Formats: sequence, structure tokens, C-alpha cells
Amino acid sequence: MSAAAIETHDLTKHYGAIRALERLSLRVEPGEIFGFLGPNGAGKTTTIRLLLGLIAPTAGRAQVLGCDTSTGSTWRQDVGYLPGTLALWPALSGARTLDMLADLTGRPPAWRAELVERLHLSDADLARRVGSYSDGMRQKIGIVQALQCAPRLVLLDEPSKGLDPLIQVAFYDLLFEVARRHTTVFFSSHVLPEVERVCHRVAMLRAGALVSLGDVDDLRRALPRKVTVVFRDDSPAVDVAEFGRVVERSGRRVVLLVAVDRVPALAARLASTPVADLLVEPQRLEDAFLEQYR
Amino acid sequence: MIDRRYAALVVRLWRQHRVALLTMAAGLALFEFVITRIAPAPGEAGFLAGILALMPPQVSAFASDELALASPRGVIAFGYLHPFFLALYSAWTIRVTSGALAGEIGRGTMDLLAARPVPRLALVLAAWVVMAGGLIVLGGAAWAGTAVGLSLRPLEVTPVEIVALPAMAWLLFTGWGGIALVVGATRREAGPVIAWVSGLIATSFVLDFLARVWTPVQGLRPLSLFAHYRPADIVRAGLSPGDSAVLAGVAIIGLAAAVLVFGRRDL
Repeated sequence: MSAAAIETHDLTKHYGAIRALERLSLRVEPGEIFGFLGPNGAGKTTTIRLLLGLIAPTAGRAQVLGCDTSTGSTWRQDVGYLPGTLALWPALSGARTLDMLADLTGRPPAWRAELVERLHLSDADLARRVGSYSDGMRQKIGIVQALQCAPRLVLLDEPSKGLDPLIQVAFYDLLFEVARRHTTVFFSSHVLPEVERVCHRVAMLRAGALVSLGDVDDLRRALPRKVTVVFRDDSPAVDVAEFGRVVERSGRRVVLLVAVDRVPALAARLASTPVADLLVEPQRLEDAFLEQYR
Repeated sequence: MIDRRYAALVVRLWRQHRVALLTMAAGLALFEFVITRIAPAPGEAGFLAGILALMPPQVSAFASDELALASPRGVIAFGYLHPFFLALYSAWTIRVTSGALAGEIGRGTMDLLAARPVPRLALVLAAWVVMAGGLIVLGGAAWAGTAVGLSLRPLEVTPVEIVALPAMAWLLFTGWGGIALVVGATRREAGPVIAWVSGLIATSFVLDFLARVWTPVQGLRPLSLFAHYRPADIVRAGLSPGDSAVLAGVAIIGLAAAVLVFGRRDL
């Protein structure tokens, strides 16, 4: 088995009585775009900071690109990082900020020119002081600094924050391109549609614990179907509740979530019942995750 | 390659602080120049000694010893113990050390630095190098001010004889810098570091003063770093190896402790 881009074993972080992360074990393969989902305070940022060695685990261990994150720092040469709350040095220009951070990485900024072009950053933008930037501009600089040295792994903490919709699309394309170049992308977000759109696999955290982990397509396939039935009668003979969970009922219209393997049985029962309309659709990943959050 | 990263850290801090440093250096040079203009000529020394002998010890203690102000040599030495001189040295030391560690954490920029392949040792050392280098610039400027003054108004002391003054001031404030780095390595904001270190420097200065004029606390004097920095004695007898060793020891221990603490803390 080749070395994982990221591997954690029972990774745990407590701050006194607060359990920020509890026994997280996961493996992210090289070249993967891995989504890390969860509401605020779920432990996403704590995980990323543990992976970078910025904080020490209370228990467990983490390996990044085959190196133990608690030892040495040279492995970070191959890692790009965009913090969730990006702070830059306001007196430096964008170009000088990128130069300085590339110098500290110790590798030439091989991808910078392409990144700058794709994110629509002009020379004039880069010549300005960062202190005069809008939030979106700052975020673009953050993305460029994370990726400019062609890292093998990039950790992005809510990267699309502050980007306008057009640049968001350019950013998603950028992630696909980066993954094609065998860079692993570890991507934290609470914007579910973007994770669904971009990621190969996704893990979901809640209150510091891993709730689910899997391939986005598999997760989507395994989700219950959303079945909308409109009966002809006010008092239908069929009790649809025995096939799934009713989430909405108004007059003759019933909406319920039905496990995939129970849908044929429901359809067979409805065949003998006067039905005005029937709609079976896959549940959106977003809806499923929102239910997990509740 | 690691050298290039260290250099990048040092250059970044230098750029951040250079205007303040050069302004302070100009102020110190001017101040020490003015001191040479107001120092008594050798012929006036006897008259001043008579006046000083009438002063209460609480006042003359400011000059490190009772007769310091009675000679050109003593007045020039006093210029290196004057509150203005100490305030600028303190401001520089605190500015760099508080900003480089706790300040970067407080601003949120430490994440971008510490996520790079740069050992935390390098982050502490870069702060120390800029702080200590800046003290050399300040000391050089102060000495240059004195030297220019003495070239225009020759007194009984030569510029070469007072090189030991900025050298000892460098040792004193690298000691304070070491302490400030330890405090900075434990905090998440620059504000508390500034407050703590300013308080410690002021307390140490007051302790040294009180111990010289008030017998009950005389025994506490060695606890003050300022007890090991006596400009009047330095211009009279040269550097004291014992005092130099104490200040250098504090600087080294402080730096080592800062490296240890900062290397183990959560950022």
C-alpha cells in the first residue's frame, strides 16, 4: 500500500473539558479531493491545525505525506495551507507577500503565474498593499500562496469564503486541475453543494466526532429517496408511513423519505391506490447532512 | 536552504521595524551629542563637585555614584543611563520581541509562518537577531553622537574609551530581550507582553535605585539587571567581567527558555 497523503489514528484534541476532536481515524489517498464537512465548532479547523503540527494532539497521531506531524518541519515543504481566518501583513504588497511566503517554503513558486491568471489578479493588484485589499482579494492571495509552490498536499480551510460566484467557479476548476497534477486536496467547508460538486470523498464531523465517511457518489446512492405522493382521496387506504419517514403532510400531498430497497414495495402498494401524482427523486446530499447536523 | 528561510524571516522583521529603528537611532545620536555639549569642561568639574556634594543621595543616585556628574567622563556616562536612553532601548527591545511571537499569533499571521518548513527555533532566533542587531544600531548611533560631540568639543575622554558603554547596554538589553521573548512565547497577544516586560523593566530600575539609597532593601540590588549596568564605573574602570557574565547569562538563558517554551506550545 502506498503512503497516504494524510493518515490519522485516534487523533484527539481536548482543551480542558472541551473535546474539540475525539479519536479521528481517516486516510486520504494521494491525488484525492477530500471534503471535510461539519458545522461551526465541529472540529474541522482543529483537525487541520493538528495535521500541520500547529497544535499538539492530546492523544493519537497524524501522518502527513508519510511523516509524523509531531517531528521535524521539512515535510511542510510539500504542504500548502490556507487558514480559515486568513490574516496577512497589511504593509506588504501582494507580490512581496507571495515572494516572502515562497522563500519560507524553500521552493520556487512554479504555479504562481498560472494561479494569478486564473484568479484574475493583475500586476497592479499585486503591487498594492494588502491592507487596501477587499476580503475577496485577500482570499485570492491566500489561495495563491497555498498553491504557488506546487505542493503535494494542500489543506484548505473554507477556501471559497469571500470569493464572488465567478471566481468560485474558477477556483473549483483550479482544484480539479491541481488534483490532475496529483496534488491531494483536503478541503474543509460547511457549504455542502460545493463539497458535493468538487470532492471525491467526504467526511462529516459533528461535535468533534466523525459521523460519516465515504465516496460522494456512494453516499448519494445510499441516501433515502424523497417520495412525493398526491392522493386522489382525502382518506387514502394506504398508510405510507410504514414505508419510510413522513417529513411533510398537507392535505392529499405526503412527502416521505424511503430507503432505496423499500421503494419498489411502496410503488407496488400505491399501484392499487388512486394516486394523482407520484414523484421519486434522490435526496440531495445537503438535505441528508442537514439532518445529521440537527 | 534553511539559511534562506532564516534570512527571509529576518528580512521580514527588519522591514517591519526599520523606520522605527532608524528614527530611534537618530534620536539617540542627537541626544548623546547634546550630552557632550552640556558636559562640564575639565576646569568646571571641581565647582560642580562642590554643588553635587550638597545634593541628597536620592538625587545623585540617579547618576550611579555621587561624583559622576562632577566630571565630563561622568556626564557622558550618565548619558547612557539617562531615562531617555533607557526608554528608547526598552521600546526597541519590547517592540521587536512582543511583535515577533505573541504579536504574530494575535494578528493571525503566525499560522502562515508556522505552517511553512521553518522550525519554531528559527522564528525565535529571527526575533532575537533583529532585536540584538537593532541594539547594535542604537548603540552605534549613540556612540557616534558622542564621538562627533567629542570631536567638536574635546573633553578629557576619547570616543574609544566609551565604546564599552554601548557594549554593556547591548548586553543589558539582550538580557531584557531574552526575558521578553520568554514572556512573548507564552502569550497570544502583544499587549500583555508589552505590559509585563515594561513593568519588569520599570520595577527592576526602581529596585536598583531604591537599593542604592535605602539600606533595608540594599541586599536586593543584585536581583535587578540594572545593578549590573553601571556606566560611571565602566568609563572609570572598564567592563566588569562579573556583570558582563551575569547579563550574558540572563540573555542566553532567556533565549534558550523562549526556544523551549515556544517549541512546545500550541499556536
